[in-house]
Amino acid sequence: MKQCSAQVRELEEVREGFYYLALEEPYLAATALPGQFLHLRVTTTFDPLLRRPFSVAGTSPQTGIVRLFFRRLGTGTKLLSCLRRGDPLDCLGPLGSPFMPAGKSPAVLLAGGTGIAPLLFLAEKLGGTGDEVYLFYGAATAASLLPVERFLPSGPRLFYVTADGSAGETGLLTDAFRRALEKGLVPGELFACGPRPFLAILAEENRRWGYPLQVSLEENMACGLGACQGCAVLLQKDGKRTYARVCREGPVFCDAEVVW
Amino acid sequence: MPSLKVKLGLLELESPLLTASGTFGFGEEYAPLMAMEGLGALITKTITLEPRLGNPSPRMVETPAGMLNAIGLQNPGLENFIKIELPRLHSWTVPLIVSIAGETEEEYVTLARALEGQSGIAALELNLSCPNVKKGGILFGMDAALLESLVGMVRAAWSGPLIAKLTPNVTAIEELARAAARGGAQIISAINTLRGMVIDITARRPLLGNLAGGLSGPAIRPVAVKMVYDIYAATSMPVIGVGGIMNTDDALQFVLAGAAAVAVGTANFVEPRTIPRIAAGLREYLAENGLHSLQELVGAAHNSGQRTEDS
Ligand SMILES: Cc1cc2nc3c(=O)[nH]c(=O)nc-3n(C[C@H](O)[C@H](O)[C@H](O)COP(=O)(O)OP(=O)(O)OC[C@H]3O[C@@H](n4cnc5c(N)ncnc54)[C@H](O)[C@@H]3O)c2cc1C
Ligand SMILES: Cc1cc2nc3c(=O)[nH]c(=O)nc-3n(C[C@H](O)[C@H](O)[C@H](O)COP(=O)(O)O)c2cc1C
Ligand code: FES
Repeated sequence: MKQCSAQVRELEEVREGFYYLALEEPYLAATALPGQFLHLRVTTTFDPLLRRPFSVAGTSPQTGIVRLFFRRLGTGTKLLSCLRRGDPLDCLGPLGSPFMPAGKSPAVLLAGGTGIAPLLFLAEKLGGTGDEVYLFYGAATAASLLPVERFLPSGPRLFYVTADGSAGETGLLTDAFRRALEKGLVPGELFACGPRPFLAILAEENRRWGYPLQVSLEENMACGLGACQGCAVLLQKDGKRTYARVCREGPVFCDAEVVW
Repeated sequence: MPSLKVKLGLLELESPLLTASGTFGFGEEYAPLMAMEGLGALITKTITLEPRLGNPSPRMVETPAGMLNAIGLQNPGLENFIKIELPRLHSWTVPLIVSIAGETEEEYVTLARALEGQSGIAALELNLSCPNVKKGGILFGMDAALLESLVGMVRAAWSGPLIAKLTPNVTAIEELARAAARGGAQIISAINTLRGMVIDITARRPLLGNLAGGLSGPAIRPVAVKMVYDIYAATSMPVIGVGGIMNTDDALQFVLAGAAAVAVGTANFVEPRTIPRIAAGLREYLAENGLHSLQELVGAAHNSGQRTEDS
């Protein structure tokens, strides 16, 4: 982990309000793992004050490129959306504990909304063919689905899900996944990232299914390094409740240890 | 080269720049990012007698020019601190200040006595923003008599330099500073966070898990500067100024108001190199102004001859 000055190589609004950001920073590109994140200083002033965390969505170690996807929500992401090629960007990273694939095939990746970012990276690292990696990707409408194929040319078998049916299957991501299970899909292990309610439903269902499931969580963050204890999430381990830091022990946790 | 050396009573430091309690953990996380250059002392996260789980999440939220936090003094407790954290902390070559808090006077005293027996602790800082469970939860730092008696009891258990860290959530902070002096504290640290609340308008409830929290960052700086100014005018104790210090100019404001040293808190989250940068900035300022030591500037803003009027 280091503090680095990355250079903006590419910034593109791939969908209304959804951006692809390619940064050049050889150290980050060489060391970041799926599930880890960067803590970005979005301004050189103190407004907004704090850094903003973003999952690494891919790397090209040979060219020193780190890829991110972000949704424009408030002041911080608005500032990011105004970056230009060549601008420097102060990053702390890579931070957090990555996904730990056990190599159980097929790996099923479940992404809700911007939760796609770390899972794209995981899919890329897992490599493999469509028989080995499945990616279920859900969003409200087709307009907010990122064109995954463009960033992940080969690899997983893709299932799009939208709440309004404007692309792929209609309904909730968890429903689409349940239907796939009913049709005979037998996952080796699951990886999920997305809104907390979606992860909570998934974890609840998985108490019956019993698949190995790793989830990536979000919490508001200050330091991003583990020093302030601001990003705590309640865990239950060996019957004892403790808080863990999303930025350090997380963002990836085992579904069963999280108190949903 | 101009000197940043400072003497806070018996506590001698190479630099007046400290890490504010709770914003630097026990140093471990920042070690890979920060050269120790310019760091005068490390103030640890507050420790308590027993381990504390901390508050429910969310524990923090950004606010205009600041942040609101309610961590709930999550810490491993005295025993683990001595066994695990203290040996690790000794790898920092700067003096170590341990921050302690308790829910009763006895807890503070037990902590002080246990730390008295440990080597390598340069000073204790009493976090006085802790509710006294025996007195209906009033903060130790809110009642002059309570504060004076607490400091006196700790004084008897700890022979080294003793810092009283005051809460700003009081009517006249200088009264509390005087009480700390009467109790036997030699150094004042001011200020801790200001109480605040953010309401989630969608959920129609306070946003933080703990409902209320403590405000820090640039938003509180003018409040902190004024309080340091008032404490400097009211007592002869050295003051460690804390509150929204982001850069050299901010640190200078505190020094001019009367702080002999300053602690950097929230700024560490934004820029881990804040302390080394301020150290360089202060040296530059001194050189440019033909000064030999920062100490020549302490309280210099009081020389205007004017008194403050409350408005
Ligand atoms: C470990 C981690 C990884 C993340 N990875 C990504 C990523 O890859 N891509 C991405 O787009 N975002 C990601 N996020 C979320 C991202 O950090 C926030 O969206 C961002 O900080 C918002 O900053 P802002 O200043 O634009 O919004 P703010 O001004 O801080 O907030 C604006 C509005 O957005 C809401 N908001 C803020 N944060 C979130 C959030 N996390 N989820 C939903 N609503 C929120 C606020 O409640 C507010 O209403 C990640 C967060 C964490 C903790
Ligand atoms: C996340 C966080 C945790 C804190 N924890 C403590 C603590 O454990 N003990 C303490 O005395 N002060 C604690 N503080 C207060 C700071 O030490 C400091 O007094 C305050 O934040 C004002 O300084 P700043 O604006 O530079 O952060 C904490 C502040 C923050 C932001
Ligand atoms: S954000 Fe500070 S500990 Fe996680």
